[in-house]
Amino acid sequence: MKAVEKKNEDSAVTVLSFDTSTAAFAAAIVRNGERMDSTVSFTERNHSVRILSEIKDLLSRNGIQSKDLDAIAVGQGPGSYTGVRIAVTVAKTLAWTWNKPLVGVSSLESLALGAWNSLQKSDEYMADERKIWIVPVMDARRGQVYTSRYEATTSGEWSRIDSDGIRLIADWAKRIEEEATTDSQVAEVWFVGDLAVHQSAIELAEQSGARLRTMSFDMDAEAVGQLGEIRFRQGERADIHTFVPNYTQLAEAEAKLLAASRGE
Amino acid sequence: MNEQRDTSADSPKGDYVLLAIETSCDETSVAVVRNGREILSNVISSQIETHKQFGGVVPEIASRKHVESITIILEEALREANTSLEDIDAVAVTQGPGLIGALLVGVVAAKSVALALDVPLIGTHHIAGHIYANHLIGDIVYPAIALVVSGGHTEIVLLESEGKFRIIGRTRDDAVGEAYDKVARALQFPYPGGPYVDKLAQEATEEVVLPRSWLEPDSYDFSFSGLKSAVLSEINRSRMKGESPDFSALARGFQQSVIDVVTGKAIKAAKEFGARQMLLCGGVAANRGLRERLSSLCEEMGLPLLIPPNKLCTDNAAMIAAAADLKWRRGQFSSLDLKAEPILSLEDWSV
Ligand SMILES: [Zn+2]
Repeated sequence: MKAVEKKNEDSAVTVLSFDTSTAAFAAAIVRNGERMDSTVSFTERNHSVRILSEIKDLLSRNGIQSKDLDAIAVGQGPGSYTGVRIAVTVAKTLAWTWNKPLVGVSSLESLALGAWNSLQKSDEYMADERKIWIVPVMDARRGQVYTSRYEATTSGEWSRIDSDGIRLIADWAKRIEEEATTDSQVAEVWFVGDLAVHQSAIELAEQSGARLRTMSFDMDAEAVGQLGEIRFRQGERADIHTFVPNYTQLAEAEAKLLAASRGE
Repeated sequence: MNEQRDTSADSPKGDYVLLAIETSCDETSVAVVRNGREILSNVISSQIETHKQFGGVVPEIASRKHVESITIILEEALREANTSLEDIDAVAVTQGPGLIGALLVGVVAAKSVALALDVPLIGTHHIAGHIYANHLIGDIVYPAIALVVSGGHTEIVLLESEGKFRIIGRTRDDAVGEAYDKVARALQFPYPGGPYVDKLAQEATEEVVLPRSWLEPDSYDFSFSGLKSAVLSEINRSRMKGESPDFSALARGFQQSVIDVVTGKAIKAAKEFGARQMLLCGGVAANRGLRERLSSLCEEMGLPLLIPPNKLCTDNAAMIAAAADLKWRRGQFSSLDLKAEPILSLEDWSV
């Protein structure tokens, strides 16, 4: 492959971003941290069908050609195994064919940042100098969720507290509640994302301490692009050939084989 | 000698280069083929070593492996073909049938390349690929009878003319390859055991004669589950008597029964439909016993027979290019919304 052109810290950056880890197909073009255009759809549960047409439309209606793109950013998971594979395969194949830098971002972090962007614009959210915890949630069945925890401040700080993983929502919400109760710097806790089946478990976790607030939120590819752009400007590049989804767990057959080999 | 031989020279664009992708099961394969027949590269990355430890193909793991390999194999195929992306005129991909999760990886990769290069996409039927693997090694004369035997398929297909598929017989239960693998397991061979059974049958001096499942006299369909059960009950019977079963005689009995029925029906179909050629294809076409019997039967009746070399019999992308060539020459392309189909009709895929 040809050497990729080096970008100046402050030169304009245009990123094509997308994610298929959830029920939403989300794609966006992000330029210098701002959404240029985006699309989101739920009509087709099988994201593999429309993904390339949607990307093609998105690019052409904005007059963007491959040469105008500086990088491709993709939600690397976790999430639906099949879903994540679709976006990751499209991203790595487009990046390879176009010879573009590829940046993988956490789908959970994208969900959290998208929700945070939206909260900051809404009345729901009360400005405070203290920290806000954003806890992204994706259903992983049997009372489990793919989740992690991010910390945000109104002055624009954004950092990860926990790694992406699969956890039992009941235990997880309880732990977050306890930690928020003992940490006086935490002003608000927001569980965001796919909450339909987990709302009650989150409510149950509330003791007399921190209030756990919830907001249903769908994946927004603008956040995928924003996170991707930051990584890209920091010089991060995924190796296209070895790039794979972050499944967070072994395939069931592998887990069983491993357990058997340990004599479990 | 044959009115319908290679017409690619008449195609609208003359010389053209097809990039083909096949990921329907546990092989990630990419090929670069010129004019539908000339293989410039045919790279196959098999996952067999991974699936062996599970005793069969695990769909989720197959899908994961395809994602790991896809761009590596794409790059290797181009390098081996000494071709660059700019030379690619169209992208072909296995649309089905196959494991849905595995197909999806190939399909979205193919769509990505087609979009990125702005070239046509051709969704291709896997079995059409197995049949047209024969077009990579010789000219096909119509009408032809194709005997498709693989791990997932056992079919007799009539090709009245180029690209027109009519299934006249199919298995009602196990595919031949599946029956071989199950019998191999009973004979304590590791997965995939088909080749071991073939070898053991070839070397056997005794034969336990097992039933032939001909079904209704006018049917071209197959059934192998009874035969498989017969092998298992033979093994049980010996053990009950405190004897150790004669595996090699059983392997021979099983193989003879399969070959008798499969070749018998294919030859009967050739006669009934006035075939001018017999095509053997699919992964089980590598079976020596089957090749030899079909060759001698075809020779007896003066029917020309084509059998691709082993590398083109097992799943590979060159065969997908060979079938996609049928559509290319007719300008029949797929939309970017092509959908991977775990079950896909061969007849409907006809040109
Ligand atoms: Zn096959």
